[in-house]
Amino acid sequence: MLTPKRVKWRKVHRGRMKGRAMRGNALTFGETGLQALEPCWLTNRQIEAARIAMTRHIKRGGKVWIKIFPDKSVTKKPAEVRMGAGKGNPEFWVAVVRPGRVLFELSGVEPDVAKRALQLAASKLPIRTKLITREEAQA
Amino acid sequence: MAQQLNLTIEHREGVGSTKARALRKDGKIPGVLYGHGSEAQAIALARRGLDDILHRGARTSLITLTMDGKRVDTALLREVQVDPVSRRIVHVDLQRVSADETVQARLPVVTVGTPEGVRSFGGVMDVVLHELEVEGPANKLPDRIEIDVNELGIHQHVTAGEIALPEGFKMITPAENTVVAVEPSKTEKLLEEAAVSAVTEQAEPEIVGKPVEEPPAEGVPE
Repeated sequence: MLTPKRVKWRKVHRGRMKGRAMRGNALTFGETGLQALEPCWLTNRQIEAARIAMTRHIKRGGKVWIKIFPDKSVTKKPAEVRMGAGKGNPEFWVAVVRPGRVLFELSGVEPDVAKRALQLAASKLPIRTKLITREEAQA
Repeated sequence: MAQQLNLTIEHREGVGSTKARALRKDGKIPGVLYGHGSEAQAIALARRGLDDILHRGARTSLITLTMDGKRVDTALLREVQVDPVSRRIVHVDLQRVSADETVQARLPVVTVGTPEGVRSFGGVMDVVLHELEVEGPANKLPDRIEIDVNELGIHQHVTAGEIALPEGFKMITPAENTVVAVEPSKTEKLLEEAAVSAVTEQAEPEIVGKPVEEPPAEGVPE
């Protein structure tokens, strides 16, 4: 699963997810991609599940790009613990996703295989997504 | 090949996001017209007219601009800003260009055929550069650059310098840049192994600037 190798701080503020993705909102490497339509925190488990669903469907051939990285730690306090006494421990890692962000890109596979693979990946994610292609971006 | 397209533009009074938003609500698109040493001019154009010429290859063709029924200039579409979610056009940049002028433009790359490495050896074709920058006469700009990849085997590639351009055109993209490459494919098993090793490797990340605590050596008396 994707996790950072080195971090400057173990715990970070929650932040906001206002607005739209100002970068990473277009296809850069592949022919087709999956674009987020809602804001969310995507966990490294969700990203991994989507990646596995995609690579299992395309079997061999093709190339997959994961264009997000879970670099934000999320902390949790243990169950049945009273409030206070400091922030909880880091439990998992998330990628902050805003609407418009391209999550995955695919190339080197037939369009219908790519479409199905991205649909399978989308079903592993907690948000609405959209399939985008290079042809429609250039039209 | 490039074709002559017509676009009706009108002068835009107000500038700024509020005025631009109101304009978009009326079915128009704000834009700017610049070039040939004259001042940049704020313009507005009909969404339908722009959509129409975009479907006829306006991104690389010379466009004849008409204002108040009179032909005012010829221009090239330099940038089309699109809303990433709704895919609606929000702004366009037009540059004044005369027909015989030499211009630089980014043209899309289109591959023709299936590489030998993909057909016979199960490789993967990777288009590294999706656009190439070329220089040539504005009225002869091709709408795309076609690359024949039929002969490409595994571990072979096409660089920008190897691509044949139409007469009068020069490649601006550095000649040594790889445009298309064919690589061996990773099998499903390899991908699974990579995923398993990634899971086992997972640990608490190192903190920048904090010294790593080493466990005490075994068998050493305190």
